Amino acid sequence: MELIINGKSHQIDVESSMPLLWVLRDELDMTGTKYGCGVASCGTCTVMLDGVATKTCTLPVSAVEGKEIKTIEGVATEGQLSEVQKAWIEHQVPQCGYCQSGMIVAAEALLDANPAPTDEDINGAINNICRCGTYQRIRAAIHTAAKWRAEKTNLAG
Amino acid sequence: MTNKKKKWTRRAFIIAGGVVGGGLAVGVGGMMYVSKKIKEYTGEGFGDGSSLNAWIRIAPDNTIIMAVPRAEMGQGVYTSMPMLIAEELEVEMNSIKVIAPQPESPYANPFIVVNKPRDIYNGLSMMEKIASFMPIVATGGSTTIRDSYDNLRAAGASAREMLIQAAATQWGVDRSECYAQSGYVINKSNSHKLSYGELATAASQIELSEIPKLKDQKDFKILGKPVQRLDIPEKVTGEAEYGLDARVENMLYAAIRHATYHDGQIQSVANQSEIEAMPGVEKIVLLPNGVGAAVIANNTWRAKNAALALEFEETGDNTLSSEQIAKIQEDVIANNIIATPQNDGNATEVLDASDNVIEGKYNVPYLAHACMEPINCTVLINGDKAEVWIGHQGSSLVREGINAVTGIVLENIHVNMKYLGGGFGRRAELDMILHAAAVAKEIEGTPVQLVYTREESMRHEMYRPAVASHFRAKVNENGIEAWENKMALQSVGYSSMMRIKPTFAEPPEKDPSSSEGAAHLPYQMDNVKVAFGQMELPVLVGNWRSVGSSQNAFFTECFMDECAISVGQDPYLFRKKMLKNHPRFEAVLDKVAEISNWSKPLPKGKFRGIALHKSFGSIVGQVAEITKIDEKSFSVDKFYNVIDCGRIVNPDTIEAQMQSGIIFGLSAALYGEITFSEGEVEQFNFPQYEMVRMNVAPTVVNHIMEIDEYPGGVGEPATPPAAPALANALFAATGERIRSLPFKKHGYSFA
Ligand code: FES
Ligand code: FES
Repeated sequence: MELIINGKSHQIDVESSMPLLWVLRDELDMTGTKYGCGVASCGTCTVMLDGVATKTCTLPVSAVEGKEIKTIEGVATEGQLSEVQKAWIEHQVPQCGYCQSGMIVAAEALLDANPAPTDEDINGAINNICRCGTYQRIRAAIHTAAKWRAEKTNLAG
Repeated sequence: MTNKKKKWTRRAFIIAGGVVGGGLAVGVGGMMYVSKKIKEYTGEGFGDGSSLNAWIRIAPDNTIIMAVPRAEMGQGVYTSMPMLIAEELEVEMNSIKVIAPQPESPYANPFIVVNKPRDIYNGLSMMEKIASFMPIVATGGSTTIRDSYDNLRAAGASAREMLIQAAATQWGVDRSECYAQSGYVINKSNSHKLSYGELATAASQIELSEIPKLKDQKDFKILGKPVQRLDIPEKVTGEAEYGLDARVENMLYAAIRHATYHDGQIQSVANQSEIEAMPGVEKIVLLPNGVGAAVIANNTWRAKNAALALEFEETGDNTLSSEQIAKIQEDVIANNIIATPQNDGNATEVLDASDNVIEGKYNVPYLAHACMEPINCTVLINGDKAEVWIGHQGSSLVREGINAVTGIVLENIHVNMKYLGGGFGRRAELDMILHAAAVAKEIEGTPVQLVYTREESMRHEMYRPAVASHFRAKVNENGIEAWENKMALQSVGYSSMMRIKPTFAEPPEKDPSSSEGAAHLPYQMDNVKVAFGQMELPVLVGNWRSVGSSQNAFFTECFMDECAISVGQDPYLFRKKMLKNHPRFEAVLDKVAEISNWSKPLPKGKFRGIALHKSFGSIVGQVAEITKIDEKSFSVDKFYNVIDCGRIVNPDTIEAQMQSGIIFGLSAALYGEITFSEGEVEQFNFPQYEMVRMNVAPTVVNHIMEIDEYPGGVGEPATPPAAPALANALFAATGERIRSLPFKKHGYSFA
């Protein structure tokens, strides 16, 4: 089976029912995507699937063949951190950091779909668990990233 | 602050030097900072360069390699400990590289044993020496800064002095002609400079005769200012490695299934051949003492599917229920008090003789730690050597655990300390190490990563105990005349020490954590009795972020509100009146009242509650502000938080820990309960053990008091007051006094 992850092709040979999470982590050693619950509840395993934030712990690998998969490892491009990642540093968001791959990917997907989210939009879109309770800083960082993204687009445009 | 300073005599110096290598040198006060001969660390994993002491190695390219022997579990020690060193060493934070050293003597945490800071000038007490000799290298009880504050500054100052002396020698000038700045030693007269990298080799040969004078607070350049955390860049790219991310050549994966019942044992696996035929399965390992079994496979998912399919022949008590535990609590309080940690005046007599007594019967359930990263440990056993990959709160415990199972000597066990995806006390336990070692022993030469699925992590752990707490009080308009508090609990100290270090285990009646935050409250009361009894139950209990205070703050600060309201007084002013002898508490309370505008009425539909609590050396006051959506539905809008943690190390980390501690306390208050039915835990995973998420999380408005006193902890103290502040706000809104957690059980919902 062929998977396209962060723009690169990978050949894998596993049961079609194996969740994408375990293909990433154990077959491809891409450990940035985390296991937290395995029941699509916590969001630590979130990746972008054709641009949509998707939990991978219950997602059979057969369902993602041919789709574009972007993991936390693909968020920075050519060594350049994304605006979201920079905002995460600016606001000193991570504590233990375990949930943050999923949070960052979810934030990227949110901002792709909604460049200027309100607090309500953030509440609706970011449903991942952070046991360290970094929500306040995540919210602030999303607003900052939205601003920086807009500035970048204006500059480019 | 420690002001005593002792000049080292030549004699003391030689004696200190003479015991090098014998392990006793750790007892000789400042020698560990100033003498290169104290070689009780191997320097493994430090990379190239010259070591100036156990904490500091300087690479030729001027990178400052710092050993951080505490676990980074989100509380920021990979930044705060380097800050302490860097302040005195005179280096920039961005020149620092952090490494996790092996658990060796210099890195011990004696604070965790003696509960007070070490005296760096006069040497360690007997208990501190024992803690260092063993050594106990552990992270917990919000002790990192409290243990390190003088210790690491002394390490930094000593190393700086060695570098300056090396430069002075090289230039042939007097030492007083030189000073250090930003990683260089500078010659005052001609502004020539030498980098630390250039000086390190020569400096490492220098012996100092005493610890240089530490800086005054007013001269701090780094401490007390917000510093960006060193671990954050790799935590936004997915590169940060946690225990579960260890990937070693040829490794296999194993999933554990515990015996179903908490006192249970498995005898055998009924469907062994079926399991062995499942895809990718290598082997089934029965764990010692019937605690369960693990299935080794070539992928975590395959291992966990196989473990889930195991059918056990097993025994155990299948009757235990939460109802039964509640009955035992009542009985223990009535008939089986074993300790009275506070008994001032005649509380019981005063109350028995009065016909004007208020009563409150409180209780809280068991709680799971629910670290975001499920429990795991990776072990490779190779003959008389072992290697471990784990995120753990006690690197010395990691070695001891492997040694207990395999007999491999401690020095031959290499610990690769990873980031912890949350610790909260759960990762101070040995079980994952013992089990992983037992599994790895069955497949020597192959590294195995043992994982507890979320379900296994949640259903088989060492819970915050379920506790009942009964109060009686006699109150008048001037305050509280008599206060009596009786509790039924399971001793966390006893339960956890019996697992970790049985020789150190004190009986339950001697466990200070049971009554911490319940006995010796700051409030002026003449007649006080605080007592508890121990419940004997098969459920394991352990340290859960803020330990005894996690329940006792809820009990005492809610009942304190009841007392205030019983005499028609404002809960803030009622408390304040009784804090006259404790100005630091009073100042925190006043400050939180001030920043929350306590004296001004809130708009219609909004309500507030207050709580004050000291734990782990720091005082925290909180005001919760909520909005009523309808009958029993609320939004938790804001938490005003004030902390007095003495001297400030990294204010940004303190703020983060306040936000974190409050959310942690709220998850427990709103939703958290582990319950038992027919001998089994009823919660499996997050859908049954819910957490505060973005849509419910309040905004925290934080204030840090500036107090020139020895630092207190910050990892735990914000958790205890969160539940009572919210409960008191809910009372203000509804008139319903909620005396047991979680609130959801009482029909409350939050958005
Ligand atoms: S691991 Fe996928 S949602 Fe929790
Ligand atoms: S940072 Fe620890 S779980 Fe979110």
